[in-house]
Amino acid sequence: MSARLAIIGVGQTPYKRAHRDKSSSDLLWEAAREALDDAGLDITDVDVVIQGVAPDALSGENAVEKSAITGVGIPHMRVNTGGVTGSSAAFAGASYVASGRARAALVVAVERMGQSVTSQAAFNTIFDPILEKDFPLTTITMAALRASMSMRLYGYTPYHWAKIAQRNYRNALKNPLAHLHKEYTIEEIMNSPLLAWPIHKFEACPMSEGACAVVIANEDLAAARNPAWIQGIASTTDSYAMGDRFRREGATLVDLVTLRMSAERAYLDAGVTDPLHEIDVIELYSPFSSAEAMTYPALGLCEASEGPAFVDRQGEDPEMPFFNPSGGPQAGNPVSATALVRIAETALQVRGVAGERQRPDVRRALATGQGGATQFSTVCVLGTQRP
Amino acid sequence: MTDIYIEGVSLSITWADARRNLTDLIFDTVRDAVDDAGQDMAAIDSVVLAAHDLVDGRSLSSMVTAPAAGAYLKDETRYADDSAGAFAAAMTRLEAGHNRRTIVAGWGRASEHDPDGFSHALFDPFFGRPVGLDELAVSGLRAQRWLQQYDDADRTQAIERRARQAAANPRALRDGGMLQSAPYPIQHGELPRWADIAVAVVMSCEPTSVKVAGMGQSSDPYQIGDRDLLAMPALRNAVERALADAGTSVADVGLVELDALTGVDDALSAEAIGLAPHGEGLGYVARAGGFNPSGGSAAGYCPPAMGLTRLVEATLQLRGTAGAIQLPEVRRALVTGSSVVAAQTHTAIVLEAA
Repeated sequence: MSARLAIIGVGQTPYKRAHRDKSSSDLLWEAAREALDDAGLDITDVDVVIQGVAPDALSGENAVEKSAITGVGIPHMRVNTGGVTGSSAAFAGASYVASGRARAALVVAVERMGQSVTSQAAFNTIFDPILEKDFPLTTITMAALRASMSMRLYGYTPYHWAKIAQRNYRNALKNPLAHLHKEYTIEEIMNSPLLAWPIHKFEACPMSEGACAVVIANEDLAAARNPAWIQGIASTTDSYAMGDRFRREGATLVDLVTLRMSAERAYLDAGVTDPLHEIDVIELYSPFSSAEAMTYPALGLCEASEGPAFVDRQGEDPEMPFFNPSGGPQAGNPVSATALVRIAETALQVRGVAGERQRPDVRRALATGQGGATQFSTVCVLGTQRP
Repeated sequence: MTDIYIEGVSLSITWADARRNLTDLIFDTVRDAVDDAGQDMAAIDSVVLAAHDLVDGRSLSSMVTAPAAGAYLKDETRYADDSAGAFAAAMTRLEAGHNRRTIVAGWGRASEHDPDGFSHALFDPFFGRPVGLDELAVSGLRAQRWLQQYDDADRTQAIERRARQAAANPRALRDGGMLQSAPYPIQHGELPRWADIAVAVVMSCEPTSVKVAGMGQSSDPYQIGDRDLLAMPALRNAVERALADAGTSVADVGLVELDALTGVDDALSAEAIGLAPHGEGLGYVARAGGFNPSGGSAAGYCPPAMGLTRLVEATLQLRGTAGAIQLPEVRRALVTGSSVVAAQTHTAIVLEAA
């Protein structure tokens, strides 16, 4: 990072299946007001607003973000990078502030998929209409391909997927904003309906609505507040074609090469050399528990071949970072906002204001974003120490 | 602040080219821009896109299109807003030191798109849509408001000049295209000519013959009833910010490439940003030498590619390589780009011959 920036405000609506009593504008403003209040700023104090909205098709309104603009003058830009929309929007806000063109940027993302008759029908249009339309490729089977590949290559079992999911649900019990508040046993998870082998229903994310906002400020504004300093951010995009990635050397479908590249760049900026011991909290954008396992080696937390053992040690090894104190996407997945929620939750942890889900002594936290066919990856490192 | 320059540009305006799919159009255009910059992909460290799912017909269009635009294993992001806005955002990345050389690309393929349906669904489902609002209708409302107050004696001349400029532009759409039905009081010759457009720019911190001198952005409220359709404060605001950023004034700009939906919007925008007195916008666009020599939306139109299209036209003028529409002695240009809903958000860029 060439400039010192920090997150000084966070606002979130509750996440749930549908906010039937609120318009998109209502949700955007609810999150934005809370973030601005948290930052001690007014909307007139921000110099740019970056809005994050992924597929319009889910909401039945085109460009819903524009409906929240009420006055004249503040620049508004919309980012849409699929699953990483929220983190891409945050990075855009960071660039405006780091460039000196803004003292503070409001970043706000909203998801309205509860308005959709069938979200999968909208999601399925992400795939190639010629080559893939007759192939039962969905966002779920896409994840199942990777899960089964991980089992074959590295020895994961259904137990590992269930153990990760169980921890996420348990953590969400302490997060009042989470969509799902229910604890499951490993057996209940493994016996839940099969969506696409080897993925069971309780290893997958729900469909959630809600909005999330953060205020990113320059050093002058941040220094007098309670900041989560941005120590490193990076974003990388891969090829779309999954077939090209099945056997790519060192960068197969389950190696998440773009997440690894983003982590390496963000670590370099943040001065992280031993992520396993230098990061206290990690919020992962992994909508399936099997997808979470693929992030561990990409983030440099273990070797790919040691992944199953890494999962086995979770909950027992106090040296490990704490994963998803919010519950992660399995406890709430407002797609357009989810990657921003990860950043917002890590900011709350670093600032020590995460409520019941606050972890002790958090000095550095990491948030990931994943989108497309694990094609887009972002990494954001926040910390208490000014870079 | 870091100085930013334009290294390479490319613009393709076609209609229903059955030999090339959308990714082919994008790849060919980006490749041309990178070649024009004299670079190879190893020298590019990021890609900033302007594309809209509802124009491209997919729920995440950049999954397929980003790699075609050169984003393979690179830092990439996409704005679902006009491409001049994406250009402005790319400026901040360079100024922040996050990147050193960036591709900015935008596109829209109108031949596979339903502009009327897309536009109608931009409006509020309870209050806007039932009365038939779409973006062209808002242009009609703006024109009606203007006609209540001013005389349109120069209108025919303005329409004819716009057509002549588009016809002379070597990059304009030659065959095909689509025209919508003109809502009162918009006239047929003032309509945008929908086309398949792909446009790309390579920008960097290395000095070239065209420097990015200033940038400004602004926005208007969503509700049409809350807007001043004639004064267009967000457009004026964005332009004033860009000119101030460049340390210049509108009087010192030799070329304006302005993004507007219709010919009437061209004239009224010219009034809003101070190029012409109120009531004289049509006369201005009928006669002014440095206004939209490209022909504006008559040369080809499809969001969100338009702001960057205007910027490429201005770059070629500053380079002296605009072909048959080249103006003499252009040293400074003002470019604008606007986004949904009905030009609600605006970006203005000032370019200078370095």
